[in-house]
Amino acid sequence: MRIAFILLVAAACISRADENAAGRWEGTLQIPGRPLTVIVDLAAEMSGDGWQGSIIIPGLGIGGAPLSDIALNGGDIVFSIKTALADKQTGPAKFNAHFAGDGKLAGDFQQAGNTAPFTLEKTGPPQIETPPHSTAITKEIEGEWKGEYQLYGYPRKITLKLKNGGPEGATAEFVIVGRKENKLPVDRVMQQGQFVTVDSHETGVTFEGRARKDEIEGTVLQGPLEIPVTLHRSN
Amino acid sequence: MKISTIVLPFLFLCLTSAAEAQSMFRGNAAHTGVYPGAGPREFHRVKWKFPTGARVVGSPVIQDKIIYFGSDDGSIYAVDAESGRQIWKTTTRGPVPCTPAVDHGTVYVGSYDGKFYALDAQSGAVKWKFATEGERRFEAKGVHGMQPKNQTIADPFDVFLSSPAVVDGAVYFGSGDGNLYSLDANSGDLRWKFKTGDVVHASPAVVNGVAYVGSWDSYFYAVDVKNGKEKWRFHAGEDALLHNQVGFQSSPAVVDGVVYTGCRDAQLYALDAATGKQKWKFDNALSWVITSPAVADGKVYFATSDSSLYHVVEAATSKPVLKEEDEAYMFSSPAVTNDVVFIGVLNGTLEARDRNSGKLLWEYQIETSKRNANWILTADRRFNVPLIFFDTWREGPLVSVDRQFAIGAIFSSPLVANSTVYFGSTDGFVYALE
Repeated sequence: MRIAFILLVAAACISRADENAAGRWEGTLQIPGRPLTVIVDLAAEMSGDGWQGSIIIPGLGIGGAPLSDIALNGGDIVFSIKTALADKQTGPAKFNAHFAGDGKLAGDFQQAGNTAPFTLEKTGPPQIETPPHSTAITKEIEGEWKGEYQLYGYPRKITLKLKNGGPEGATAEFVIVGRKENKLPVDRVMQQGQFVTVDSHETGVTFEGRARKDEIEGTVLQGPLEIPVTLHRSN
Repeated sequence: MKISTIVLPFLFLCLTSAAEAQSMFRGNAAHTGVYPGAGPREFHRVKWKFPTGARVVGSPVIQDKIIYFGSDDGSIYAVDAESGRQIWKTTTRGPVPCTPAVDHGTVYVGSYDGKFYALDAQSGAVKWKFATEGERRFEAKGVHGMQPKNQTIADPFDVFLSSPAVVDGAVYFGSGDGNLYSLDANSGDLRWKFKTGDVVHASPAVVNGVAYVGSWDSYFYAVDVKNGKEKWRFHAGEDALLHNQVGFQSSPAVVDGVVYTGCRDAQLYALDAATGKQKWKFDNALSWVITSPAVADGKVYFATSDSSLYHVVEAATSKPVLKEEDEAYMFSSPAVTNDVVFIGVLNGTLEARDRNSGKLLWEYQIETSKRNANWILTADRRFNVPLIFFDTWREGPLVSVDRQFAIGAIFSSPLVANSTVYFGSTDGFVYALE
């Protein structure tokens, strides 16, 4: 009986924490000399299993970056950002916070070994930014495409294999061969009308092009580099 | 009774569509800056504010109860005008400090990535994109007195990109490559391009088959929209010393056969739309006129930068009607409604002024401005110039301008629709006030 009571109380606390967490939270990261406005959106996954979220930091050009590793434990929450403010040396930026009970979420923001306090206030329901997913592609562009371009005088050969992958949208194999073969991890393939975009966010390389009959006239994009390349269907 | 039964719903539909038809910069292709209906004479509340990832410098437009705008985070946003909730966003590869145009279900907008985009207004999907010869800012040796004076420096006050006008199936916009472009609105194919001598970041007005735009080469051009041929050009002031008093950043308004435009040579010009002959000019004592003038009922409404003055002059003669001193520079263009004029100020304040008297009815200061980080503002909300611009060498002034603008400056020209004022700020938010 006593155990059941404890379990009931614990369940009530967890559900209250869940209710507390869901919403749009706004406040300021108190980075010394550079206070930054931050907007965090948190909501339970549709499946009911875990949490999803996104973050906006106008002062750092971050508009709707996804939150990772969200963990809610009683009145505490932790989450991190992996797609911004992070590189191999610094690792992801992290938030550790506690629901203060007065509609506020207070804690520490950690980035590159530095720590800054923050306080967020709930301002409304969540408006989570979901990153665009891969789309299906038309039969006309399914298959293998090849092309060649020059980078600082050195030839690069590009091969793109596009295929539909069921409900998750299309997938692609993206290989660029220069001095060595680089198989780029592709996380998104999109087709909008004639436009095809293949993103490898991990390497920062994107191919985008316009499909016309048996060729895709496009560009390889990497940072400020934009290199034109035309892909032809390989036989 | 029968007549009113037929006419009234029709009249209502006309009024509704007029209130909604604010789908390009300054409300229409003539850039009158006039917004039908009433704007709030009193401030009641922030209806919503929408965060983006970076500064919002351009202006919002509305079509079918959806607000469209660009952000320096590289995205173009579609947001529900009533709730402030995002409908879609489409990301480009550069900042978008300009105002989209919406026409026949398509959103047209340029980006600092050097591309011009046509997006589906419902989904944000790219319909086509067009590569210009590339974007850049106006630049000059020792511009504004920055040192070393022999160094070519990009002008940090060149904040806008050209905003498109869409007329009769063609889209018109300027570019940092010095061209005025005309593209087929449906396909994105180049119809023609017209080369000027420098950056074109002013926005063309298109009226009666002529596109009007100024360039940073300090010429103002009238171009035949059929073939891209020059009809006339007008030469404004030059400044070989500091390159400060030169170039058109203001976008023209064209009303009743007259072109009204500001210029960085500190003049507001009225030019004959048919010939380019100067009708009058209004001198602003070395203070830039970046705002695009609004023209309504025989009066021209505009504001200045350094002198921070809000002016109303007679359109026919330039005779002053009223003048009000403001607290800080104005790059935002006035939005004229039935009885209220709205304008943004670079100190982070949105102002509502009585249209007839020019007196301040209300103002809204955004939070970033209130916080006054780095003491960018004086206690009375003027720019704290000695503290901001203490260094004229190397990157010093550029860093200073960046800090100055971070105060939540309102470059954005207000959009007024359904008794609500919409505008963006460098704090990264778009605001809806009522």
